[in-house]
Amino acid sequence: MMNEPVYDNLREVSWRRKLTTSEELQLRAWLAAHPEAQADWEDEARLNEMLGLLPDAPVASNFTNRVLQAVEQEEVAEPQESHGSRMAWWRRLATKVAVVAIVVIAGFLSYQHFHAAHVRSKVAEGLVAVSTAQPVPGPDVIEDFDVIRIMPQLYVDEELLALLK
Amino acid sequence: MSPRDMSAEGDPDAALMLRVKEGDTDAFVELVDKYKQPVMNLVYRMLRDATEAEDLAQNVFVQVHRSAHRYRVSSKFSTWLFTIARNLSLNEIRRRSRHPADSIDAPHPEREDQKWHQYEDHKAASPPDQLLQGELETKIDAALADLPENQRMALLLCRQDELSCEDMAEVLGCSLSATKSLIHRGRETLKAKLKPYLRTGAWYETK
Repeated sequence: MMNEPVYDNLREVSWRRKLTTSEELQLRAWLAAHPEAQADWEDEARLNEMLGLLPDAPVASNFTNRVLQAVEQEEVAEPQESHGSRMAWWRRLATKVAVVAIVVIAGFLSYQHFHAAHVRSKVAEGLVAVSTAQPVPGPDVIEDFDVIRIMPQLYVDEELLALLK
Repeated sequence: MSPRDMSAEGDPDAALMLRVKEGDTDAFVELVDKYKQPVMNLVYRMLRDATEAEDLAQNVFVQVHRSAHRYRVSSKFSTWLFTIARNLSLNEIRRRSRHPADSIDAPHPEREDQKWHQYEDHKAASPPDQLLQGELETKIDAALADLPENQRMALLLCRQDELSCEDMAEVLGCSLSATKSLIHRGRETLKAKLKPYLRTGAWYETK
């Protein structure tokens, strides 16, 4: 690019359309002052003309009718498609709900199963602990309980102890 | 001021489109008749296959009709239309690149002398034979076809009278400076490829 605002602007305009008379005059004046840009401008102008030589693409004479036909066909097909798509949407929703329900029920049953097993194991542990516990001693063990209990309070006969020694 | 009034004053095509939105078929026909040639020119030179180009151009207008209920006068109608044409063209080109065997009519890139397949419609007005068969036109077509898609699209949009540089930038989905850069690079490539014709003035003889 030339980085010359006047030239760049006119050149960009020429890419899209023919320059007006005043624009042509402006360009010529600018080129007279900048002869080094003359060759560049000639290439630009020739390329513009060459691109202008490209013919229009062939368009069938019944193009518009075919578009209208396609639109009509789409409008006819649309209600059926929308009904079908609604049904498909409901089917997809029902499938999703069913899957979620199955997952929730399976989760609940699994929780119940493991919870019951946990309770059973706790009960079994309790039973084992009870069955293996030491038996409580009989009432004869505490026959002299009262005597033993008051023993620290009895008077100690020091003289007798000394004689015994 | 309602959007409809604004469009009627600023863009008569937008006013037509608002009528299409209300179910007016005549307005739609008017838009199709006005834009079928520019749209065909664009997609034909993007796809390089007349039959596919015609189908795609029809799809562009079907898409316009289908999207009419969503149409808002936020930009020019032509900008919206060419954006649809661009998107569908690029989708088709990408689809072709994934399934190259589908496009049996596309010319071989190494054979510059190969003529594009012409759409066989006996009712269609045939384009000027002398230009279609001219060597120069073939060279320009081939040089255009060799350009990267975005540069080719930018150059083709340049040929649309109704689009300003800002409109082209909107269609291409890039900034104004990026759009100008695309056009400039595309033109520089064309100049290099067509240099013998530019310099010798041989192109004058074909006019």
